[in-house]
Amino acid sequence: MWVWFFKLGSPKWFYELSGKWLPWLIGAMVIFMTVGVVWGLVFLPPDYQQGFTSRILIVHVAVAGTSLAFFPLMFVAGTITLVWRMKLADMVAKHAAILGAWFSFITLATGSLWGSVMWGTWWEWTDSRLVSMLFQLFLLLGVISLRSALEDSDAAAKACALLSIVGCINVVIIKYSVEWWNTLHQVSSPVTTDASSPNGPEFWIATLIMIVAVYLFLSVSLILSTRNEILERERKAQWVQDLVLKS
Amino acid sequence: MLDAIQFSTWAEFFDMGGYGFNVWSVYALFAIFVAINLIFPWRKKQKIIRQLKRRMTLDAEIQSEDDSSGD
Repeated sequence: MWVWFFKLGSPKWFYELSGKWLPWLIGAMVIFMTVGVVWGLVFLPPDYQQGFTSRILIVHVAVAGTSLAFFPLMFVAGTITLVWRMKLADMVAKHAAILGAWFSFITLATGSLWGSVMWGTWWEWTDSRLVSMLFQLFLLLGVISLRSALEDSDAAAKACALLSIVGCINVVIIKYSVEWWNTLHQVSSPVTTDASSPNGPEFWIATLIMIVAVYLFLSVSLILSTRNEILERERKAQWVQDLVLKS
Repeated sequence: MLDAIQFSTWAEFFDMGGYGFNVWSVYALFAIFVAINLIFPWRKKQKIIRQLKRRMTLDAEIQSEDDSSGD
């Protein structure tokens, strides 16, 4: 177990292993994305109250749910960086912040596009779910600018690990905001096998497919960025030079 | 499967029951978001490899010049 753990920390080992995984991850991502989007745009029946705006929700729910994974991921990566001095974890944390900011922004934008017709408003400052998600976006932008200011130093890793703790607390707040404060944003719909229910199988299976598709996309994008970072940081290493000569 | 398709005409498909602008904007935004976060890292990799290659050939040239002037 520990041998495996420390091997994974070696950039060269990760680069080779992820190179083997990538084709499979990309293949699975293309399949799930295609099924999810075609199902969402062509087959998903209109909701009895929302009409076809329910088609927005399968994208919104998948991106929003996945956006909550970034701060826990950055916290784990930050801890590994600080405790075991593993550079690879720091590279993952750096690119997770950038991708996480994208996810938070898309969550807010797709939510607004749904809310503008279903709630009659693009934005509501008194809604706890909306405001805590906006806070997550600002926290991630803070982490990104902190990193670029401190230039991948030890201080940057420490400061970002600290901000990740705040981010993780905020993730809990985002998750339970709709139960703790009763405001505009609805609670999540329970999963049911009752086909006559408005959130029956055809709706939640479509959502589930989109969630898997979005997680696969997250992995592929994060692995691609991390591999670039490895090439840049290890450019003087013999294995990188061999790799460049071969390509 | 075909009778599960919710539309009979293209116009209906684009209209989305009157919510066409919102539904299509969300899917367009999603497509751009996915494309950007896959294409940019991929293009960056090509750029990094190109730069490293150029630097290595440059280093090799300097090396050979040093060798020949040393004779």
